[in-house]
Amino acid sequence: MIKTQNPRYEFRIFGNHLEKIEKQIREMAKEEQTRIMTSVYLLASGNPKNNIKIREGVMDIKVLEDEHEGLEQWDPFLVGEFPLKAETIKNVIFPALGVHYPAFERDEYTLEQFVDELISGDPDLSVAYVMKKRHGYTIKNVITEVAEIKVNGASIKTICIESENPSKVLKIKAKLGIEKNVENVNYPLALKRIMGLVSLPENWKSESF
Amino acid sequence: MAKEALKIGEISKPRFEFRTFGRDFDNAAYLMSRLSVPVPEKVWERTSEEFYIVSKTNDINNTKIRDGKMDIKTFVQEVDGLEQWNPLMKAEFPIKAETLKKEVYPAFMVDIPSFDKESYTYDEFMEMIKNHPDLQAVKVEKQRYGYMVNDTICEVANVWINGASVVTVNSESTELEDIKKTINDLGLEGVENINYLQAIKRVIGWSDKSLAN
Repeated sequence: MIKTQNPRYEFRIFGNHLEKIEKQIREMAKEEQTRIMTSVYLLASGNPKNNIKIREGVMDIKVLEDEHEGLEQWDPFLVGEFPLKAETIKNVIFPALGVHYPAFERDEYTLEQFVDELISGDPDLSVAYVMKKRHGYTIKNVITEVAEIKVNGASIKTICIESENPSKVLKIKAKLGIEKNVENVNYPLALKRIMGLVSLPENWKSESF
Repeated sequence: MAKEALKIGEISKPRFEFRTFGRDFDNAAYLMSRLSVPVPEKVWERTSEEFYIVSKTNDINNTKIRDGKMDIKTFVQEVDGLEQWNPLMKAEFPIKAETLKKEVYPAFMVDIPSFDKESYTYDEFMEMIKNHPDLQAVKVEKQRYGYMVNDTICEVANVWINGASVVTVNSESTELEDIKKTINDLGLEGVENINYLQAIKRVIGWSDKSLAN
């Protein structure tokens, strides 16, 4: 696997009522870019340490390396572009998913073959189709993002603050008025909650977050 | 034969329904509000929180729990793309094991677990659902706005499925032609009829079909 960037500490929230934080972000920085993209996430209920997704036919895996004062440090690796060799799927992807690999009937798999033949039939695995409209900002050299996302067609928003330096993330988080007890929710966890793969916390309600 | 006048919130003979789910029905919602006759204030806006119990092996029984009461509807028939659902059973927690065994789990169409108690509270039942590999309790919050168009009961609603938002519009009536006219008047011709069960399954990834928009 190829390392794609230095690991970053990340604080992320999901919700339906994030207007107050969005307004603060817009007051502190100008929007630099808007990107629209579709990602396919692979989810396994017993696997909290790997964030596995495919975007534009390319798979990458982020590994949770560290947790520090409520922040998560994710280390990204590039797995490769589809079609992927069965050997790579067996030795890299299934271990990252934390489930046993199936029998392989091909030497290599297109994305469609991979999802249809190796993922869909496994009761321990799920696929989330996520469309994102990402609005990028930089606040005091810290990447900050507001995104409208659609998970299997249903909408929710997410805001993320990320940097290689955790203290910078904590500083921007405080500046945006996000309280210390607000839960840091990464993409796989949010998707698992929406898809019912893990229990919902009490506050995971439309009106309260 | 004169058709039965429908009244919102009152029991009628079994109704046919057109419903669809997506993210943008602004135009249909606008038309619905303009074409509607005045409706009782109690249906102007209603909010609720429910759990739907979805089953991997069943698309014909729709089970929901609201305020400690379970309500199962069963699919009867489809005529011209419109669906007719009838009440199958209603029960209030605690529910007897006998009722779960003979009525509720058969409606889920899954393996029936063993019951070691005489009756089950809401929490105990939800724990059983959580532990069953083919069942899932899905949290559904609704903000519903009621209308009456062409003598059909209509609504536009914001719905949050496990916290993620979709919009639904519907028209229901005992009279097929009234629903068809309403679909046409609301600009929804050709839009797929998607019931709650199907919409939920699509969002939680149990069906690979898309919502209507």
